[in-house]
Amino acid sequence: MDNFHRIVAIIAAAIVIVVAVALALIVMPGSSPKPHQRLANGYSGIIPAGALLRVPVTGVYPGGVPAGLNPNMQNPLANDPDAAQRGMKDFDAFNCSGCHAANGGGGMGPSLSNDRWIYRSSPANIYLSIVQGRAAGMPAWGAMLPDRTVWELVAYIQSISQKPGRNFGDTTSLSPPSPGYEQVPAGQIQTTTPWKYTEPMPANGAKPGG
Amino acid sequence: MKNRRAPLIHAFLLMLIALTAILPVGGAHADDLQAMMQDDKQWVMPAKNYANTRFSNLKQINAANAGQLRLAWSFSLGSDHGQEAAPIVVGDTLYVVGAYPNELFALDAVTGDLKWKYSPRVDPSSQGEACCDVVNRGEVYDNGKIFYNTLDDHTVAVDARTGKEVWATKLGDISRGMTLTMAPIAVKGKILVGNSGGEMGIRGWVTAVDENTGKIAWRAYNVGPDKDVLIGPRFHPYYKSAQGKDLGVTTWPPGRWQIGGAPVWGWLSYDPQTNLVFYGTGNPGPWNNNQREGDNKWSTTIFARDADTGEAVWADQLNPHDLYDYDEINENVLIDLPINGQMKHVLVHPGRDGFMFVIDRETGQIYSADKYDTQNSMSSFDIKTGRPVMVPALTPLPGKNVTGICPASPGAKDWQPVAWSPVTHLLYIPHQHLCMDYKASEVGYIAGTPYVGATVNMYAGPGGYRGEFAAWDLTKRKKVWAIHENFPVWTGTMATAGNIAVYGTLDRWFKVVDARNGKLLYKFHGPSGFIGQPITYQGKDGNQYIALLSGVGGWVGALANAEIDPRVRNGALGYTGAVNDLPAYTSGGSSLLVFALPPGKANAQQ
Repeated sequence: MDNFHRIVAIIAAAIVIVVAVALALIVMPGSSPKPHQRLANGYSGIIPAGALLRVPVTGVYPGGVPAGLNPNMQNPLANDPDAAQRGMKDFDAFNCSGCHAANGGGGMGPSLSNDRWIYRSSPANIYLSIVQGRAAGMPAWGAMLPDRTVWELVAYIQSISQKPGRNFGDTTSLSPPSPGYEQVPAGQIQTTTPWKYTEPMPANGAKPGG
Repeated sequence: MKNRRAPLIHAFLLMLIALTAILPVGGAHADDLQAMMQDDKQWVMPAKNYANTRFSNLKQINAANAGQLRLAWSFSLGSDHGQEAAPIVVGDTLYVVGAYPNELFALDAVTGDLKWKYSPRVDPSSQGEACCDVVNRGEVYDNGKIFYNTLDDHTVAVDARTGKEVWATKLGDISRGMTLTMAPIAVKGKILVGNSGGEMGIRGWVTAVDENTGKIAWRAYNVGPDKDVLIGPRFHPYYKSAQGKDLGVTTWPPGRWQIGGAPVWGWLSYDPQTNLVFYGTGNPGPWNNNQREGDNKWSTTIFARDADTGEAVWADQLNPHDLYDYDEINENVLIDLPINGQMKHVLVHPGRDGFMFVIDRETGQIYSADKYDTQNSMSSFDIKTGRPVMVPALTPLPGKNVTGICPASPGAKDWQPVAWSPVTHLLYIPHQHLCMDYKASEVGYIAGTPYVGATVNMYAGPGGYRGEFAAWDLTKRKKVWAIHENFPVWTGTMATAGNIAVYGTLDRWFKVVDARNGKLLYKFHGPSGFIGQPITYQGKDGNQYIALLSGVGGWVGALANAEIDPRVRNGALGYTGAVNDLPAYTSGGSSLLVFALPPGKANAQQ
């Protein structure tokens, strides 16, 4: 083959390879292995499995010290400013809002908007509740959600849950009306920081704004 | 010869008849359930009788002496979730089933002593599949067994005397979002069960289970092809829009009927004369109407079906292409009413959508549909076409926050059943009075998760009150008196020949009112808000008792017993905003309260 034809052959081969790789990337979403392959290869998430295994669900440690445990593991997406926004979209896309309501108000599932946690509040605890599911009916989303999506959801939940207040307890009363304030309804505003938008709570279940 | 033997033969025959009347002949002797329904000393099914009147002829407690009622005893069920059940009384025993974990208790109906309890191993994950608190609406008796449903899709049969399990049949799968919450009925040896999960994209059905073996006898789906919906040669719907082949498929986008909802989580009634069972179906899935073009049959439909085979005889779809989650699972009360001068066998259906429907129960022809509470989501109901006239400006479009829709999604009245008094000729209606803002959004179906697509915000209706106990005159077709309550009235009700009607409130009041005029006769501050169904019976001590479960919850009250944030209005499918002050009135509970007149007053006549 002369030089001209050799160059054409090389370019043609290169095009075939590029197209094949591009098709593979388009037709196979993402570059993650198929589910059965993932199981065979084991866990491939952002945080090493061993570290996640050491996240406790309780604050009670024999001997009083969390030796070797990871009670305060942070969200690996903590420095990603868009993670909570993406998590807000994931929250609707995967029907989290169906059980936990817009802004995490709760309903079929417990509220994510207040500062009370059943399984501890660290980002890794929230991650594990999503991936593993929980006994009273939280599905085990590890079967469906990519790892990054779960950490996005964690970022969103961190963003919508109220930071712990100074008091040890909360008061509920009619007079004076307590809590006395509510969030602006989600039908009017969609935000990753709903606690920034509050209004007085109307008495007797009246429509806000009269 | 004949003359000497005839008296002997007669005597022998008389003896045989007497023996069969007094000797219980093992399992071969079937209870006469209808006779037991007429016996006002008992209350053998939550709705009292097949006609669902919830009316008792007992008069010992009456309008003159009800002010002297007092608590006779109470019993704690041990689990603080919403208690929606009606207890039943069979002979000397009161049976009551609790919310999850669905324990069944047998108590001495006079003393309240516990005889036994049956504790099924209900899957805890089912709690996360129930849209509206983990409630159970009650149990039913037939032929020596108590039957009821568990949250995780089992129907169970328990020996009424010993509490031993006879059979337990699994009818569905919680991982597909199905649960069971309704009170079944017993008809001719079959237990009729309907499923829950309209918010989860399940496929609604009624299933008949053989009461002796627990095996499925028939299943009628409410969406899908005619062969599944059991629509065949016996089907003669009155209205044109119900006529056609496979409407349970063709009135949906392709394939969408498979996740189309139409559950049966409310009430079943039965007419022994025609052997027809009547019930209504729930909302179509998803709530977001923009994803399911078409009438979405057979959601929000009242069916008449043959009790032996399940075959459909007629069907009226009351809210075609439902926009607002107006399930039509409410009760169908079977009575005779004069229509245009002629007595007709009708069913009365207080619509979730706010219309009081009076329907011919032989043909499905709708005689009247009158608004019984504030309603602007439909301008009227056309009884000629059998379809409501909608209001285009209030249609939830994707992403549009439509405001001021009345009634709100729980409707003018939800599952909480009415009572009918043939003495006062009034229908007693416990219900709510709410409006809402509604924003539809796109939702994807993921099995086992909610299939809703709506952000809802409910609040008090015009006038500022959120609930009402009303008396409706079916002949005059209007409300004759009403008691406004601060909160939705979420209990059922019952009425008696003593001219009393009974209900309870979310702020913990048990109330007895004069059935003729609504005057308050007696009230008691219970341990927790009331959402159960009251019953009455006579004990073997000759006293009349009234029983009602206390234990706030349900769709309306879950935020008072569960981890729901009252400061986020859209929680609990939008109910939170309408009752965000409820936690200041009550916490959760689970007590059965039983009332009677004080000793010595028991024989006072009216």
